[in-house]
Amino acid sequence: MGPIRIEPQKALDEALKLQQKLSAGAQTLRALDPVTFGVTPKEAVYRDDKVTLYRFKGDRAPTAKTPLLICYALVNTPYMVDLQDDRSMVKNLLALGQDVYLIDWGYPDGSDKYLTLDDYINGYLRRSVDFLRKSLGVDAINLLGICQGGAFSLCFSAIYPEKVRNLITMVTPVDFHTPDNMLSHWVRDLDVDLFVDTLGNVPADLMNYCYLTLKPLRLNQQKYVGLVDILDNKTELENFLRMEKWIFDSPDQAGEAFRQFIKDFYQGNKLLKGGLRIGDKAVDLKNVTAPVLNIFAEQDHLVPPAASRALKDVVGSGDYSQIAFKGGHIGIYVSSRAQREVPPAIHDWLAKRS
Amino acid sequence: MASNSAQDWMNQWQALAQRYWDGWKSHGVTPPGGFGKSDASAPWQAALDQWTQLFGQSAQQSDLVDRVSANAKSYVGLMQSLLNTAMGQDGGSSAAAWTEALRGGFNVPGMDPSLWNNPLGAGFRDLAGQGAKGFEQLMAEFGRGAAGPMRQELLANLGMPTFGLAREHQERWQQLGAALVEYQEQTNRYNTLILKASQQGFDRFQSKLAEREEPGRQLDSVRAVYDLWIDAAEEAYAEIALSDEFRKAYGAMVNAQMRVRSLVQGEVEQQTRQLGMPTRSELKGVEKSLQELRRHLKAEQESASADLSGEIAALRAEVAALKRELAGAKPAAAAKSAEPAAKPAATSKKTKR
Repeated sequence: MGPIRIEPQKALDEALKLQQKLSAGAQTLRALDPVTFGVTPKEAVYRDDKVTLYRFKGDRAPTAKTPLLICYALVNTPYMVDLQDDRSMVKNLLALGQDVYLIDWGYPDGSDKYLTLDDYINGYLRRSVDFLRKSLGVDAINLLGICQGGAFSLCFSAIYPEKVRNLITMVTPVDFHTPDNMLSHWVRDLDVDLFVDTLGNVPADLMNYCYLTLKPLRLNQQKYVGLVDILDNKTELENFLRMEKWIFDSPDQAGEAFRQFIKDFYQGNKLLKGGLRIGDKAVDLKNVTAPVLNIFAEQDHLVPPAASRALKDVVGSGDYSQIAFKGGHIGIYVSSRAQREVPPAIHDWLAKRS
Repeated sequence: MASNSAQDWMNQWQALAQRYWDGWKSHGVTPPGGFGKSDASAPWQAALDQWTQLFGQSAQQSDLVDRVSANAKSYVGLMQSLLNTAMGQDGGSSAAAWTEALRGGFNVPGMDPSLWNNPLGAGFRDLAGQGAKGFEQLMAEFGRGAAGPMRQELLANLGMPTFGLAREHQERWQQLGAALVEYQEQTNRYNTLILKASQQGFDRFQSKLAEREEPGRQLDSVRAVYDLWIDAAEEAYAEIALSDEFRKAYGAMVNAQMRVRSLVQGEVEQQTRQLGMPTRSELKGVEKSLQELRRHLKAEQESASADLSGEIAALRAEVAALKRELAGAKPAAAAKSAEPAAKPAATSKKTKR
């Protein structure tokens, strides 16, 4: 017996359905509203060059006494955490009573190509944290680092342990040399000095191209074949386009910061192995003494779970917890499951340590 | 398909094509030549071209339309190939026969023949948007120019010594030529691995299909076949992409491309300098100075702010001490004023302070 048994009627139905969807798409695609992201009201409370510190405004006043600062990666914009009304980690955290702040790193241009990790971590991030400590009259804040921003948050917490009350890391790489880390594998033989000296800032298109080639057929073909299924659904189509916009509306990478991140983190694996310095300050994860909640995604193709799990064995904190989320690198923010599970987990963990 | 003859299939296929096209005609689209006939080479793809034209050139979502169209073409190519295969079959085709049908589905008319049987390679070519294609187009032009006899001539000249006034320029051009050749070689090395991944994808697909031969596990839709193919292709690609060979080839290709870019930048800089125009190096120098100034300014501001904070804190401490002292002095003064003026000198001393 053969492996494929496509009944004639089913094949006809499938083809007709495709036709109907495309036909409907001819109408729907013309009627779409412009898509945006970042839906929760927010106020800029501090600016530093192109960096802006925002405070989100919920429907009610926060009950948490310690501010929660979200530190996102330099790649992509941070609004994955506030994509749309029904897919917003920020909105859910506010509803639970958290006082949520976020660092928007902005879009570096040519004049920013000499920004280093020292400028980002000991500069922008530290000054943002100090602003919050001073303006809110608290000694330490709660820090939530995401992906590369999680690596930054670990560095920050190791350098300035007195300024971090609780640390949450989400989909954060710690061991950059796990065997399933395709990105790391690819950049191991990269001459990053030549790369940055040639390109200056690393263009966002190049970064996105690289991410798409991690799963070339799934991300560049199957996804768009699947898109045909929703061509007759305006809402779903707008959700799809919103995600597309977020994926591809991304900032260039400041060259010098990129150079150091590739050399020290991806190639040298120094966050795990030791020897990492940010500016004139040594980073030793044993100095991270605040309680740590480490959340990672089991189907993450960008930051494999093993890369995040490694934190457990190297962090200095005596209060370490971890959550394995059933989903991917993006699903951990935008899936229905994420809305139900992630913000309450963060809130409950913080509440026990407030 | 087991219960249907090839003629039944042919009849239904014609009926399907007619119904399909009736739908398009309702949108005012003209049928492509040969559409609806079973011997038409790629009527579904042609229909998708027509669908794309419904949006015109200025459609807001034109890129999205292009992507849907390009990928739907690949999908319907697979659909057509499977259906064509099914027409003459009784449902008992082997995994190998279906895999051949899948290969056929990817090799659509009009496609670059170099990418036949290489869906991953085709995918990579489609992946880059127009904005990212500049360098690839430049290299394609070079590749055409440097192919065959000219390539041999290039290689022969690259090691020649240079003389006279233009020797430095000549040497740089030779370096650029060598870098271009190197880049082509490294790209070929990388493309060979991508082709290998495509071939292994077909092999893996065939293995996955074989697993579906047992009753109850058959695939019953084109989409299911397509999804299984994607799984197989991605698995094969991931295995290659995580190999040491790929890592070396990938790094070498990127490094070679950066050398070419760097040398081209150098040539542009030479020309602009001779024209008295600002160069990239000059701008980089300014940008570096700007960043150093920024750091210095922020450090100064923080230092000044820290000094000021320190001074304010010291003054506050002094004021607090004075307040405490004053608070302590008041009861004493009150007690003294309640007494007869026995010790005026002491009261006077406190007041002086």
